Order: sequence, then C-alpha cells, then structure tokens
Amino acid sequence: MPLISAQVISQQPSVYSVKRMPFNLNGFNNISPVIVQDGIIFCSDRRFSGIEDRTGFDGRRLYNIYIAEKKDTSGFRKPRVVKSDRSNKFNNGPLCFAPDKKTVYFTSEVETGKIAENRNFKNHSGIFIGELSGNDLVSIRPFKYNDPKFDVGQPSISKDGKYLFFASDMPGGQGGSDLYSCEFIKGDWSAPVNLGTRVNSPESENYPYMHPSGKLYFTSNRPGGIGNLDVYFTSLVNGTWEEPNLMSEPINSKADDFAFVAEDNLQKGYFSSNRGNEDDIYQFVSNIIRKASCDTLQENSYCYRFFEENAIKYDSMPFRYEWKFGDGNKAIGPLVEHCFDGPGTYMVQLDVVNLVTKEVTYNEKSETVIVTEIEQPYISAPDSIGTNQKIKLSADKTNLPGWNISQYYWNFGDETIGIGKDIEKSYLKPGTYNIQLIVSAAPEPGGSAREACISKNITVFRQP
Amino acid sequence: MKLKKSIFKIVFLISLLGFPVLGRLSAQPVPGKDENIPFLVTFGKEGKTSWGDDDFYQIFFFSILKDYTKPVYIRVFDPDCGGEWDEIQGEFNTKTKFSVYGGKGVDPEKNEESRGLLKGIGVNYKSGNLLASKIFGNDAKYDNKYYTFGPFNPSEGDFNARWNSYMFKIVCEGISGDDGNLYKYYLSSDPDNNVPIEGANAFTYAYHFRMWNDFKSVAHIYPYIDTGIVYIKQKNFDWDDDGSILVVSRYKQGIPVPISNEDNWVNSNIPIEPPEVGSSLDFQFHKRQDDLVKNNNVVIELENQRGDALKFFSSPIGGVPIYQPKLGYEKVKPKK
Repeated sequence: MPLISAQVISQQPSVYSVKRMPFNLNGFNNISPVIVQDGIIFCSDRRFSGIEDRTGFDGRRLYNIYIAEKKDTSGFRKPRVVKSDRSNKFNNGPLCFAPDKKTVYFTSEVETGKIAENRNFKNHSGIFIGELSGNDLVSIRPFKYNDPKFDVGQPSISKDGKYLFFASDMPGGQGGSDLYSCEFIKGDWSAPVNLGTRVNSPESENYPYMHPSGKLYFTSNRPGGIGNLDVYFTSLVNGTWEEPNLMSEPINSKADDFAFVAEDNLQKGYFSSNRGNEDDIYQFVSNIIRKASCDTLQENSYCYRFFEENAIKYDSMPFRYEWKFGDGNKAIGPLVEHCFDGPGTYMVQLDVVNLVTKEVTYNEKSETVIVTEIEQPYISAPDSIGTNQKIKLSADKTNLPGWNISQYYWNFGDETIGIGKDIEKSYLKPGTYNIQLIVSAAPEPGGSAREACISKNITVFRQP
Repeated sequence: MKLKKSIFKIVFLISLLGFPVLGRLSAQPVPGKDENIPFLVTFGKEGKTSWGDDDFYQIFFFSILKDYTKPVYIRVFDPDCGGEWDEIQGEFNTKTKFSVYGGKGVDPEKNEESRGLLKGIGVNYKSGNLLASKIFGNDAKYDNKYYTFGPFNPSEGDFNARWNSYMFKIVCEGISGDDGNLYKYYLSSDPDNNVPIEGANAFTYAYHFRMWNDFKSVAHIYPYIDTGIVYIKQKNFDWDDDGSILVVSRYKQGIPVPISNEDNWVNSNIPIEPPEVGSSLDFQFHKRQDDLVKNNNVVIELENQRGDALKFFSSPIGGVPIYQPKLGYEKVKPKK
C-alpha cells in the first residue's frame, strides 16, 4: 500500500528556488551571467577600484566584464575585472564564448571616434570579437553586421558554434528589439535572419541564450508575462520556432527578470533581476526531479506468434496444424498469432492432422506459456491531446512486484510536476512533452530504497 | 594408468567416429522388418519396364562385422517364378538367376560398377569372385520356400575398413521370360532357419520392390545420410501415381516428393539439414486411398548433390527416425 494517498495536482509553480549571488555588489548593477568552468563571468557597472566611478561620455557608469571564480562548491572569490583597450571609455558586455572557450563575443559601442565623446551623441552598440588572455581581452575586432545606426548586441553562440544569436533593433523587425541569428558558413557569419513572429513580438526581445539542449531562452516585455521583463523559452521544431513558454515563478517576477543561463542539465542556472534594489544576479536551483536515465514505457503485449519450427521451413507439407491456446481459442497453420486477454498461465497445445493418412496426432506437442506484464512503472495516458484539455494520468497499472511504493512523482516535461498515483493535467502550449513517472519504494529494513523511472511522450496539438 | 585411459578413450572415439553404427544391428531380413515391404521383385528380361522393373536385375549387399568368424548363409525365400506370390504374365516362363559374389571387386564403395547403377556396354556389376549361383524356373520345389546359399566364410567377402565389415553381393537376374519374380532374402548363421547375425546388415542402391495390395499398409526405406550431404536427389520409377511419398526425419514431419506414373522416372531434390547427417531418413510410401492399385512394382534410387548413390539399409542406421516436433513462440506487437 502506498504510504501517501493519491492527490491531484495540476500545476505546481514553486519548482525553482532562487538566491541572490554573493558576488553582487550593493549599489551597483550586476547582470548577464555566463557559466564558465572556473566560475561566473558577468557584467557590472561597479567601480574598478577606489571611489571614483568610471563613466562614459554620456555620464553613465560603464559596464565592464568581471570574473567571479569559484572558491569551493558554494563560495566565490572577489570578482576581478577583465580589461580591454575599451574598458575605460566604453561599455563591455554582455558577452558569450565561442566553443573554443577562448574567443569572446561581447557587446560594446560601435563609434570610437571623436564624435563619440559628444555627450548628446547616441552611440549604438555592436558586437566585438576578442581573445581572452588572462585578465585581458585582446585582438579585438568588430562583428561585420555592426552598424552605427542601430544596436546589435547580447550575443549567444550555439554549442556546435554554427549559429550566433543576438538582439538588434535593426530595421525590418517586429518592433522594439528583435532576436536574429547568423549561420557560420565557410568561415564567415551569414547575413542575420529575424527569428520571426513566434519569437519576436511588437515589444522588445533581448538577451538570447541558446542552451546546449536546443532551447532558446530570451527576455521579453511582451504582454502576458508576470511583469516587466520576463524570461521565455522556445525550441526550433522542424524548422519552426515553437510558441514561447513563460518561465515560471520565482525565476520570473513582477520585476525585470532577464539574461537567463543554465547548466547542461537545467537543474541549476543564473539570471538577472531587479527584484531587489538594483540589477543583481540570482542563482536558481530546480526542485524538479528529472532523471537523465529513464526507460521508455513499453506497452504490455499479450500477443504471441506460435510456430512449428520445422514446419515453417517447408511450405508444402501435407499437414494441418491446429493450435489450442488454452483460453478456448483455436487457430490453424504452421505459424499463427494469438492475443491472450491478459496475464495468466496457458497450456498451448498443437494437434497435427496428416492430410495423406488422415491421421490426427492429438497434443503432438504442448507448451506452458506464462503471460506476464512487464515489470515497470506504468503511465496510463493518451498519446496526444489538445491544448488546455484536461486529461487524467494514472500509474495504476504499475507492475513492480514486491515494491512497497511510497511515492509516484510525475515530471510533465513542461517544468511542472505532480505527486500521486492518479493525476490531472493540461498543457498550455502545443508541442511534444516527455513525461517521466518516478516511482519510489519505502526504505526497506536494511535501509536501501528503490526507485524506478519510466517515460512517455505526449503530443499536444493546438486546439482552437 | 592415465595413459591407458587416454588410449582407451581414443580407441573408443575412433570406433564411434570412424565407423557408422552397425555393431548393434542384428536384423538381416531383406526387406527389413521396419521397411514393411512385402517383396523384392525382378522381372524376366523379356518383360516390359512398365510392369515396374527398369533393368531386370537387382543387387543387394550384405555386410558382416570383421569379428564374426562363423559360417554365414544367404537364404532366398520363394526363389522360383511360379505358384504363389509371383506375378504371372500369360504363363510362367521366367528363369531367374541368383549369384553370390565375394572377394575383391564386390565392395561398392571401392568399385562403383558393383553398385549396378552404371549402364552400358562393358559395365560389370557382377564383379568379385562368384561364390555360388543357381537358376530357378517355375519349380514347385522352391515355391513359398527357402533356398540356402552357403556356407560362406565371412572372410570370403570383400573387406571394407570404414564399416569394419566383409561385404558379400547377391545379384538376382531375370535371364529369360517376362514374369515377375517376387522374393526375399535372409542372411543367417543357420542353413535351415533364419538366425540373425550380430552386427550384420544389408543394403542396396536401387530398390526394386512390390507395393502392398491394401490401402493401409505403409512401406518404408531408410537411406543413410553420410557426411557432406547437403541435399539428395530422389528418382522413382513406375509408381503408377499410387499415393504419396513422404520423407520423414527427426527434423522433417513429412516432405512430399513427386511420384512417377506408368513407365516413367520422376525426380526431385530434398534439402538435408546438418543435424540429419549421420542418421537415416524415412521414405514412407503411402498407398492411394481412392482406387486400390494392385501388384504395383516400383523402383527408387537416391543420390547426393555430387551424384553419388545413397545406400538403403534394411535395418536403418541410427534406428527408425521419429519426427520430433519443435514448438516455438515469441511475443509480438498487437495488430492495431
């Protein structure tokens, strides 16, 4: 008997816990984290040192790049600045790394001439490429699609290095800032392509981040969010970007939440938010359990193919093979198929009629067939449903003999979970979701606890 | 001590691997008991092949294990052609000659002509030393009775090392007339009674025999599948469309083979599975069940894929093969 009673949970919002990172500096803005092996690289408008702010020609404090190295598994050393020949006069960042982990794509101002020193001059941002050498960015060169007439920035490169995503308010977009991508072809970046109306809204989209899983995270102030800037994600399926999904609270809040990054398994990551006094970097940890290794649900089959092994080698034998399956059903032929109604023990008998002599050999051969269900957690759910359609999922057919099951944990694949043997669920967005059912047994007297995971895909189609 | 055991093992293995298992056999009636064939048949050479004899002679070989040293006898049942059993054509006028051969030239594994399958001028199937012969006509003295050839010293045969046996050959020829002589053989250690000889056997390469005159009786022959055979070619003659031939083994429940009609040959190939090598097949002859075909005389021969003739043993090597059904099953996806 399960130790907990079945309960119905349709959505469970608090699947993430967040905390403010210790390397944020009060009174200054800290944004756009990048996860590297040694720690976190981020952008901040903090002072390099001393008390004097470094400001741009417009009088605003300059953002620069900092590295917060890990001290241990939870602590960070005091951030150190990454300097370039632009550090004293221009903003540096946000940024990303190319797959070689040395080449840095970062945002800075395009115009560096005398005109840029005019306080009223609107200096647009562009992407610059440099090499990280110790604490210095060197060999800096501009991205070929920078333009002094509009902003280009916030780069993110796919894990395979083939695609560069960035934000820009270049003409021809959907409104405000839009997201674009370039493809790396024959050693050069192709012309930018707008990601289209599924991703880009009439409002502004910024801070693209292409996760290694293929999910594209970004920030938007479009209507329908939780408030101000919110983090969304989408995926490219069959050449089309899916309808963006809003990240749940507490990653998103009524404040500005932006510049989301995550580790490969999506269990931990970072984002920026001004939910405190200023822009700060926060860490999120997923409370959602999602198994990296989870067997795919196998449908129980009570169907068998029976055959007389020698008979099927020859197609002209003058014999008739009559099968009795032990459940009242019969079939004729050297090779037959039969589906039993369910698990059980069946005595299958073969009678053979010699068509030459007309002799019948009753029960020439018999076999005891034990039909069992597969030992696995079992997800009873439809294969496809419409959006917003409420469905019932059940683990009632779970077949784990000898297990004292204490918990049925559902990961619905859309950042929501549920607990209980029977669950109701609906999906808001179309797409294909991988449901995981994780079944835990109560600890045994020796202290060992068993756990089994099974997964099933469900397709959600758009329902008008 | 260990060395002696090893030598014993080697000798034992050689005896198993080197020689087909003949040692336990002791049945020398021809046709054999398991064959359930009523009679051998040979027509006088003026007969018609459409009566069921393609060449008017029949050759059988007897093998006697080397260890057997007492005199042996070959007894012929109903050697005459007349009276009971035999097939009359007009009036009995047939003379049949039975000849027993031993010594060099008899062994059909060393001398292919001895098998009696090669045809043409100069081919000598009567090879070996003629040990005894006798011509029988329509003679009531031998009707429905045995005539005994011998005694023969086993060492008068032609020694075959593979079978560890001495070989004797008996040739039955229809030297004149056109009637069918129906007869049987028995290899015996006694001149007056049928007393089997331990380890002996009999075989032929071309079986001429009489089918049963009833619906129910099933005749059999048991060809031996020697090493290296991957398929066999069966050839049957003058079956008169009389029923069915089924080939049975431990692995074949009954493969049908095409049968001949009046005065013609029909052949077909039968695949051999590796586990069938070293054992005998069971060729079953089932009579037609609608109109009874009476006095049907037939011929059957077998050869392997290289064209080498197969032996039919009167007492099947490895015993009568019994089909072993093999039931298998596997899970399949339900049909949607």
